[in-house]
Amino acid sequence: MNAPVRPGALSAGALPIALAEPAIRFEKVGKTYAARSGQQAVSALAGIDLSVPTGSILGVIGRSGAGKSTLIRLVNGLERATDGRILIHGEDVTKLTESGWRSQRRRIGMIFQHFNLLSSRTVFDNVALPLEIAGTPRAEIAAKVERLLALVGLADKSERYPAELSGGQKQRVGIARALATDPKVLLCDEATSALDPETTRSILALLRQVNRELGITILLITHEIPVIKEICDRVAVIEGGRIVEEGETFAVFTAPQHPTTARFVETVTGVEVPEHLASRLRTEARPGDSLVLRITFIGENATAPVISRLSAIVGIDVNILAGRIDAIAGQPFGSLLVSVPSRAPESEAVLGALKSLGLKAEVIGHVS
Amino acid sequence: MSPELIRLIWQSTLDTLVMVAVSASIGTLLGLPLGVFLATSKRGELFAAPAANALLGVLVNATRSTPFIILVVAIIPFTRLLAGTSIGTAAAIVPLTVAATPFIARLIEGAVREVDQGLVEAARAMGATPVQIVRKVLVPEALPAIVLGLTLAVVSLIGFSAMVGAVGGGGLGDLGIRYGYQRFMPDVMATVVAVLIVLVQLVQSFGDRLARRLNKRLRHA
Repeated sequence: MNAPVRPGALSAGALPIALAEPAIRFEKVGKTYAARSGQQAVSALAGIDLSVPTGSILGVIGRSGAGKSTLIRLVNGLERATDGRILIHGEDVTKLTESGWRSQRRRIGMIFQHFNLLSSRTVFDNVALPLEIAGTPRAEIAAKVERLLALVGLADKSERYPAELSGGQKQRVGIARALATDPKVLLCDEATSALDPETTRSILALLRQVNRELGITILLITHEIPVIKEICDRVAVIEGGRIVEEGETFAVFTAPQHPTTARFVETVTGVEVPEHLASRLRTEARPGDSLVLRITFIGENATAPVISRLSAIVGIDVNILAGRIDAIAGQPFGSLLVSVPSRAPESEAVLGALKSLGLKAEVIGHVS
Repeated sequence: MSPELIRLIWQSTLDTLVMVAVSASIGTLLGLPLGVFLATSKRGELFAAPAANALLGVLVNATRSTPFIILVVAIIPFTRLLAGTSIGTAAAIVPLTVAATPFIARLIEGAVREVDQGLVEAARAMGATPVQIVRKVLVPEALPAIVLGLTLAVVSLIGFSAMVGAVGGGGLGDLGIRYGYQRFMPDVMATVVAVLIVLVQLVQSFGDRLARRLNKRLRHA
C-alpha cells in the first residue's frame, strides 16, 4: 500500500523540488456529476494536469464555484474523479475501493474553513480522534496528543471545549488533529478564510513551519491572494473547472499571463494606479506637466537605493506618488509610481537611466 | 381520603412509572438504531439504502398516524402473544412500546440530521468507517438533542399510559377513569391529575438540565 517515500525529499529546510516524485499528481483529471432527474450532467473539473512537488506548498486560487473544493477533495477520495488519474507519491489512487481509501486517508491530513471540530469533545479528545479511529493504543495516543498540542501552542488548552476557543485556536486544533496520524500530505480547504488577517498570518506561519520542519507537502485552496503570496511556493489559478495558469508563485505574480491571474495579483502587487491620480491622468503632455512612470522592482533591485541613484545620474528630482515593496514567496517585489518633468530632455534621460539600472519602467500618462 | 385510596394512588403511580420506564427503555433501544439508520440511509448518505429507508419511513409513519387508542385495540393479538394477556400493566407495556419506538426513532433521526455535515466529512477524511462515524461523531454530537427528544417521548408516554387505563391497562389513568369518573370521586380525579402534572414537570426539568449539561456548544470561556 505505502508508496516509497524518499527520506531526502522530506528533509527540512531547502526544498529539493522536482528531484523526487511529486507528492500529488493529477493527470488529465475530470469530474462530472451525473445527470439527475430534471437536471443535466455538470462538469466540475476538466483536463486538470497538476503536480505538487514533494515538500512544497502549492496553492490553488479561484473564485467560488471555480471547482477548487472539488479538486482538493479528489486527493483524499471525498470526491471521485470521473476521468484521468491521480497519483499520490506515485501510487494511483483513482481505482481504490472505499476501504482502500480509508487507509490512504490516514496518510493525508485535512483542515477546513469552519474547522469541523467536535463540539462534544475537548481539545485533547478532538486531536485524539483520528488516532482512535486508526486503533492506536490509549497510552500512545496521550503522548502523541500532548506533543501535537505543544507543537501548535495549545498545551494549556487541552481540557477546553472548542466553544471556549477563538477561531485561530480552533484552527490550531484542526492542524494538530490533521497531523495526528503522521501524514505526508496536508490538504487545506480555505483554512484561513474564516479568520481575521492577523490570525490568518499566524496560521499561515504555522503551516509554513509544519511544511519546513516536518517535510509535509501542502496543497491548499483559497480565494485569498495574500495566502498564496505569503506561503505558497507554487500557485495554480483555476477558473471554470480548468487550470488557466500554473507556476512558481514569484514568476506568476510578477508576470501573470492570464487575465484572471492578473486581476488576482493586482490587489497585492500594488501595481494599480490610485484613484485620485487616475482621474487626473492625460495622455498628451502640456507645458509644465509631469510624466507619471511606473517602475517595477524584481528581486535584488527591490532593495537597492534606485531612486537616489536615479536622481544622482540625471540630476533631477524624482517625486514618489505611490508605491509598495513587498515579499512574494519570500522574494522582494515592488512597484513605484513616480513623476518627473515631462519635458523631452529630462524625461528621456530618466527613461535611459532606468534602463541602465535594469529596471522595468512604464509610462502611465501626464498630470499637471 | 381513606388510607386505602392513598395506597391505591401510590400503587397506580408505581404502575405508571413502570409502564413508562419499561416502554421508554425498550423504545429507545429499538428507536436509536432505527433513528440513526433513517438519518443516514438516504441516497448518497453513509449507509445509503434508499429503498429500505423509504420502506421504514412508511412503516414509522403508519404507526405514528394510527391514534394510540386504536393501536392498543388493533394489536391485541400481538400483545397476547408477548404478554400472555391483554389486560393489566404488563400487557399495557406492549402497545406503549410499539407506539414509542417509531416516535423515538423520528426524534433521533431529527437530532442526528442536525449534526453538521462538515463533521462527517472531517471524520471521513480521517479514514473513519461508517460505524465509527456513527459512534464517535453522530451520536455524541447529537446527544443533547437526543436527550431533549427522549424527554419529550417520556412525557408523551406518561400521557399514553393514562390512555391504556381506558382499556384496563392499570396505572394512574385507569384509577382516574374507574374511581374519579365512573364512581364520581372528584378528589381522586384531582389527585391523579396533580400526580401526572408533577411527574411531567419532574421529567421535563430533569431532561432539560441533563441536555444543558451535555451541550458543550454553549460554554463560555
